Amino acid sequence: MIKLPDFHEDQEYRILRETAAAYAAKELAPQAEQLDLDPAQWRIKEAIARAEDLGMLAALIPEDYGGGGLDDYAFCVALEEIAVEEAGVAAVLLAHNAALLPAAMGEFKALITGVGPDAYPACLAFPGDVSLSEGKVKGRVPFALNAQECSLITLLPEGGGGTQAVTVRGDAAGVEITAEPYQMGLRAARAGSIRLDDAEASNVISGGDMAGAVQRVLLLGLAAIATGISRNALQKAYAYARERYQGGKIIIEHQQMRIFLAEMLAAVEQGRALVKKACEDGGSVPAMVAWLRATEYACKSATDGVQVHGGYGYMRDYGMERLMRDAKYCQMYPMTSQEALLRLLELSEAG
Amino acid sequence: MGVRGMSERGKQLLLDFPPLAALREHDRKGIDEVIRLVEGCAEYKRTVAQPMALDLDERMEREPEYFEWDLMREACKYNIFSLAIPKAVGGLADKYMISGMALAVEELSSACGGIGLALAAHSLGVAPVIASGAMAHWDTVLHEIVEEEKKGNPVLMAYGITEPSAGTDVEEPEFLEVARIGMEAKKTKGGYVLNGRKCFISGGSEAKYFTVTAATDRNRPLETWTTFLVERDMEGFSTPRVELKMGQRACHAAELLFEDVFVPNSHVLGYEGDGMANGILIIMAASRGPVGAIATGIARGAYEHFLAWARERRNGKRPIDEDRIRMVLADMLGTIHENRGLYINHSLGGDALFRNAFTHPIFLAAFLIPRAIRASWPYAAFLNSYYGKSFVNILFRYFIKDEEVTDMLAKASLAKFSCADNAMELTSRALEIMGTDDSVERRWVEKAFRDAKLTQIYEGTNQLNRLAFYNTEIAKTLKVEVPGPFKKGVR
Repeated sequence: MIKLPDFHEDQEYRILRETAAAYAAKELAPQAEQLDLDPAQWRIKEAIARAEDLGMLAALIPEDYGGGGLDDYAFCVALEEIAVEEAGVAAVLLAHNAALLPAAMGEFKALITGVGPDAYPACLAFPGDVSLSEGKVKGRVPFALNAQECSLITLLPEGGGGTQAVTVRGDAAGVEITAEPYQMGLRAARAGSIRLDDAEASNVISGGDMAGAVQRVLLLGLAAIATGISRNALQKAYAYARERYQGGKIIIEHQQMRIFLAEMLAAVEQGRALVKKACEDGGSVPAMVAWLRATEYACKSATDGVQVHGGYGYMRDYGMERLMRDAKYCQMYPMTSQEALLRLLELSEAG
Repeated sequence: MGVRGMSERGKQLLLDFPPLAALREHDRKGIDEVIRLVEGCAEYKRTVAQPMALDLDERMEREPEYFEWDLMREACKYNIFSLAIPKAVGGLADKYMISGMALAVEELSSACGGIGLALAAHSLGVAPVIASGAMAHWDTVLHEIVEEEKKGNPVLMAYGITEPSAGTDVEEPEFLEVARIGMEAKKTKGGYVLNGRKCFISGGSEAKYFTVTAATDRNRPLETWTTFLVERDMEGFSTPRVELKMGQRACHAAELLFEDVFVPNSHVLGYEGDGMANGILIIMAASRGPVGAIATGIARGAYEHFLAWARERRNGKRPIDEDRIRMVLADMLGTIHENRGLYINHSLGGDALFRNAFTHPIFLAAFLIPRAIRASWPYAAFLNSYYGKSFVNILFRYFIKDEEVTDMLAKASLAKFSCADNAMELTSRALEIMGTDDSVERRWVEKAFRDAKLTQIYEGTNQLNRLAFYNTEIAKTLKVEVPGPFKKGVR
């Protein structure tokens, strides 16, 4: 194992980190390959059932309402640790919690208590082009995480300045969910496109900047997951580089390999720092910057990790190529990097 | 010179590759043959490869052992399996063998990297039979490939170099010298007994003939590295496993298992001990350029699908109407042109080198002897003997000089690592710009992204290729000595 630089966190985060890591190592690591290759609904449910102990099934909902009551940073810490073993499951939990966030914001108790073990994972239908009129939802969401076989869908309709959120039951009339024909990464979060044709809203929640808050949590979470992927790439590549013998020495003694590994280490360090800062400072801009950079680093770490493994990295058995696919999806969702950059400047000008 | 009557693809090819247009001024017949070849591949892409590539790739994730033989059978119509086989034996390889190969491979890989690889890996398997001048096998193995291709039956070859414990090590002399080799070919009466495993062999589970490298003494791999011709039905030979790859799935990466496989002396290609110079370096000097062309094809496929996506209208808007998308498109096509410059530079240079031997009258005269005699036992026995090999070698080596092969290896390695890195960069960027759009074009670009990664790994990792480029071009510490009866091979 390679030692990561000391990262100063309060005691509670440290404990959470350890518990989340233990959960991931026990529940996810043994079936990481299966979760990617065959992400059946029962498998996902089984995998995340134990995340309840971490408070990850209603993480951002205050404890008073029976939630986990985690703050943004605690949530990110847990996601990073889970993503070190299986980024897809971390994405399931992220989308699920982001979908419940409006309920927490709107203090919509009924909805939260209504989400029992059968209801998760909830689907976050964002971003999309949907409108709400007279309790009916219309529109289309091209790509939504956790869409397949979901029981609850959270939508953020256009108009009203993004202050409204709507939930729709997955089996409601007028809801048509089409499974993504081929999802390259984050496969456990089984994505799909959703078409809504006057589907009845089960709850309409009004409150502050719902869309902004959901987006911020998504970006922070994906940045944390991306950092987890970089860590996984670093650990795997480091272990392999110390075993593989080539060119008359173990390959970790080749300078180019050491540079690859050092880049990954730097990626982890930077990703963590950015996520922590964005959580502490609040606001959309730091979250967006953290997401932009952490996902970029993760893509590079994963690609280089495959390169360190050579041919073996390209084959499923070594679990390296999965990181490349997962990292790319963290970067491709919920917006493109160019859109984020344009938005970033816009936000900064306004502020 | 006139391009009237030429297909759109042919005209575009001349525009994309000005050196070809310039050469055509001097050698219209030769270049027009290359154009026809590319036109054939374009038709194969349109009618065969593209319609099935995406579904096949997704299917082979669930069924990694599946192989789509229809792809291979259809390829016979376009003579894709005789691309590397000399004209003297009925194949297509003539003055522009490497360029033709590279251009064809770009065309095929722009439809699907895996299909491009399946067809290119076959030619890679053929290459050692040609480069070693093992003419006795030209009239048997190569002749069979050509004849069966005419009937629509693909007879495939594969080249087995990589071993489980040696990937980078078997691609470069200074590494091979210190490598831990698992496979061994023990000398025995009348031949060799092969034991061990080769892994990640492209096309290995479907090939009928294999060119395989092995050390006759595992403790001295570089000095005893030897190329063998192995047939699938030889006793003790099997291909027990195919890998589950991230991309380029249409072509299997297989494991070759040798359990006391007896290979007769006649199946040694070249001389015992010249497997690095003859079996690897000369082949790599010719083939790394076309591997760059695979990467370029993959990048071009991604570009074509990205462009189609950019032109799709959503909510009344088209991405291509935005400046930022136009910039990306310009970058992409620019990168593809850079790649093309690198690989066509290499392949035209390689052709200038190799065609001296393959189109020389003395060489061609050897094939004026009736086939019945050429294929007869005494003639083949002569060609397989030390003196026979020396005769062919002296003939070949007279035209192919050490410095030129070394220079080819440099250019080939450069084209390989640059094109592969560019392809990875381009496909990765394309996805970043598209996002998780639910367009089918995104799935194509995702496939290209997965396909592209392998081009940075096979045919020597990009790191190894950089070293090879440094060693041949900058430090000049690696000089390929064309092997022959009086030379050792690698210095």
